[in-house]
Amino acid sequence: MQIRDYVLRRMMVLPILIIGTSLIVFTLTRVGGSPIGIYLSHEMTPEEVAEVEQRYGLDEPLPVQYLTWAGGMLTGDWGWSGVAAAPVRQVFPDKLGATMELAVAAGIVAVALGIGLGTYGGARRDRLPDHLTRVFSISGAAMPIFWFGILLLIVFWVGLGWAPIGRSDADIFQSIAHPTGLYTVDAVLAGSWNALVDAIWHLILPAIALGFGTTAIITRMMRSSLVETMGEEYVDAARAKGLPEKLVLRRHARRNALIPTVTVIGLSFGFLLQGTVVVEIIFRWPGLGRWMADAVLRGDQATIMAYVMFTSVLFLLVNLVVDVMYAYLDRRVVLGA
Amino acid sequence: MKLGRNVGARPLWAVFLVMAMVMAACTGTTTDTTGGGADTTTDGGEAPATTGGEPSDTTAPPTGGVTNPETFVHAADDEPTSLDPAQVEAGEGGETVILQVYDRLVEFTPDGPDLIPGIATEVPSTDNGGISEDGTVYTFTIREGVVDHEGNPVDATDVKYSWDRALTMDLPESNVGLLADTVASTEAPDASTFVVTLTQPNAAFLNSVVTQSVASIMSEEFVEANGGVEAGTPNEVIATNPVGTGPYVFEAWNRGENMLFTVNESYWGTPANLDLRIEIVPDPDVRVLGVRAGDYDTIETDPSFVGDIEGAEGVTVFQGEFLLEPIHIGFNLNYPVDQLPPEDTVPADFFYDPLIRRAFNHAFDYEAFVNGALGGFGAPTPFYLPQGVLGYSEDLPVYSQDLAMAEQLFRDAGVWDEGFTVSVIAEGGNLFEIAALVLKDSLEGLNPNFTVNVLALAEAQFDEAHASDPVPYALWVKNADPFADPHAFQSEYMDPEGNWGQVHGMANGYQDPETISSMIDEASVITDPAEREAIYHELSAMFYDDPMWIIAGNEVAVMAYRDWVQGFVMNPLWPRPSLKFALFDKG
Repeated sequence: MQIRDYVLRRMMVLPILIIGTSLIVFTLTRVGGSPIGIYLSHEMTPEEVAEVEQRYGLDEPLPVQYLTWAGGMLTGDWGWSGVAAAPVRQVFPDKLGATMELAVAAGIVAVALGIGLGTYGGARRDRLPDHLTRVFSISGAAMPIFWFGILLLIVFWVGLGWAPIGRSDADIFQSIAHPTGLYTVDAVLAGSWNALVDAIWHLILPAIALGFGTTAIITRMMRSSLVETMGEEYVDAARAKGLPEKLVLRRHARRNALIPTVTVIGLSFGFLLQGTVVVEIIFRWPGLGRWMADAVLRGDQATIMAYVMFTSVLFLLVNLVVDVMYAYLDRRVVLGA
Repeated sequence: MKLGRNVGARPLWAVFLVMAMVMAACTGTTTDTTGGGADTTTDGGEAPATTGGEPSDTTAPPTGGVTNPETFVHAADDEPTSLDPAQVEAGEGGETVILQVYDRLVEFTPDGPDLIPGIATEVPSTDNGGISEDGTVYTFTIREGVVDHEGNPVDATDVKYSWDRALTMDLPESNVGLLADTVASTEAPDASTFVVTLTQPNAAFLNSVVTQSVASIMSEEFVEANGGVEAGTPNEVIATNPVGTGPYVFEAWNRGENMLFTVNESYWGTPANLDLRIEIVPDPDVRVLGVRAGDYDTIETDPSFVGDIEGAEGVTVFQGEFLLEPIHIGFNLNYPVDQLPPEDTVPADFFYDPLIRRAFNHAFDYEAFVNGALGGFGAPTPFYLPQGVLGYSEDLPVYSQDLAMAEQLFRDAGVWDEGFTVSVIAEGGNLFEIAALVLKDSLEGLNPNFTVNVLALAEAQFDEAHASDPVPYALWVKNADPFADPHAFQSEYMDPEGNWGQVHGMANGYQDPETISSMIDEASVITDPAEREAIYHELSAMFYDDPMWIIAGNEVAVMAYRDWVQGFVMNPLWPRPSLKFALFDKG
């Protein structure tokens, strides 16, 4: 089968998969009960509850409700978020941008520190710096994020007054446009140095809090891998050639030690996204994690369903792209098998 | 072979160095302060940090110790759900914004229950001819020259439009019932006269209707240009972009972050001193850290955090008046037995017996709840007259724990030996759940044959169950809605013909429900406060003998604010957090 035919076939199946996914999402969410609770106030009479049900179409039969919801998802009406007091579709991009920016920043912190510290410790095996990096990585893996985050706030926000909380300074935020929802990118696009510094400044503490656990994992992986690599014969051969130890480390040992570490880095991104829930709550970061936690706790089904649907469709699309890439890169893959 | 000391490490230390330099540099430029305040700030001259990282060119120059000198920063505990006066729910965060952005005809003074003119030029009374002899017609003279934040003029026709709009929309989540139950008609015979005719005389009309969020004034021109009015349908523009005539102009709502306001320079009254920023900070620990850091000028907190704040430099803990929202446990006399949780063994008429309701009241450990959960910042409350409303008196009877009396009453009711199992629902993770747990400990400690199952529910689940009729649980815990007048409490929570009276089937339990209902109605139309008080006192004694609730305690308003805040005042009759930021200054 040609790649073109394969892609077309997958594209034709995709809508069926999306419809199936939407049915599962809708059904499973409704198993948990009616979504009406988030729209109610404490002192409503049953007649008033019925009015609210009518307003949101919750008095219709379930199949009609499903069609309304599914049609809305297609046309951009993702429902009303009771938690955010705004249409889900309007809030979603901002929240997604906030979370992605935080996760990427935490990833940068984790990769930079993890590889740096792992190399530093691994190159000094069983000496003091190595012991220190191991203590660092154990503490990073052991410390709960919420505790570490609060600790950072107490020291750097309250105690020293060095770091801020939240996502941006309110005045600076208002002073530039936000076409992407990524404040660092928005600041660059606006050509505002103040806004860029402000965005990075607000990112530092939550990124450290979020990235610390991953930093520890990468450090440990990098150190172990480097220690192993430094004992390989080709490293001895490089030394025997008379290369300076610095070059041996950089050109031969570290490069090869990075291979398993990169695999771990890839896997860690999901871990970072999970951690955003706690970090966003502690650092008052207005991202998807905090929004979803709120939505789950308060039963905001419109928000939950939109989020699950979004991630499901994203997963389906990424899966499709990956399969096609495999087929393209490795012709031994049997298409359509 | 040994490696060089810095092999592979130089870039890392370089990163740390750069970070430290940047942090130090930014710290040096971020503290913007104002002069004075040496006597009001206890920071020992140390300037607290600002919202951190705020570039120097966007802030005022450092002059003495106040963070954000041009902006008042308040940390709220929750995101509003609507900013439309015709949609906002009583006690909800949107009321905080509406109080700052909109005006009403009359307002409460900052320090008590007295009324002062708002958009009306004077408070109507029978003496000044503003209230008709029979108490059913109120005439307001509207101030001239009032404009909304868009520059639209606002006169009596806009007042009529605003009230009629709320009545037409008739949104169930709103407090429109206050208007609908009271107002027969509205008229604006000319641009400066607004006339309201009531369905019957109502002594509480000014205090409990005209001053409330739902009676806020907006421009007809603005509303009609932004979605207009449609029955039963919220207006999304007004719900998210309020435009009023008040001292603050709404600028932006950054979901999950903050809400921004600027001073209304065209305000008809005394303009606000500072711009306003309401930060949305759901985590109570972070609010406490924020006020200690100096980033927040006032924070919403509760008594359980006082220990974390007291003694902090530059921070004052304010213990105000009692809130008008007692935490209560409702006896349901109308539950369908077959819908109760399967563990429950109570029969349908369990709470019909006043002996059992009194026994529950005597068994409850009020001291544990007030001193524990409320940190001592609370007190028992008589039925149903919270501290601060007309008729409250320390001499009114309130329950206290009396286990011997509780045992005797349970024995007299015939349930002591057999025991019972009953479930109580509450929102999880807050004072309501704690009140339910105190009830559980109190009763199970009294008699091992008694079992109380505490069902802690998510807010949406609780609201759904709570809004059911009949409520499928025998007991639930919540706080009362805040009202400024005793009639609202009586009619909402005690009247067998009122809202909860019907849902809970109170007529099944009261010895004489007709008398109670007629006394509540009678007190609502009497204009002499002393006469009203006498009736409420009589009712309170009757309710003590025939209780329909356990009032676990009424919470004292606790706030924390920076010492540099000037003019701090809090009136529990204003919507929670009971602050008008336009009255504050910093320095």
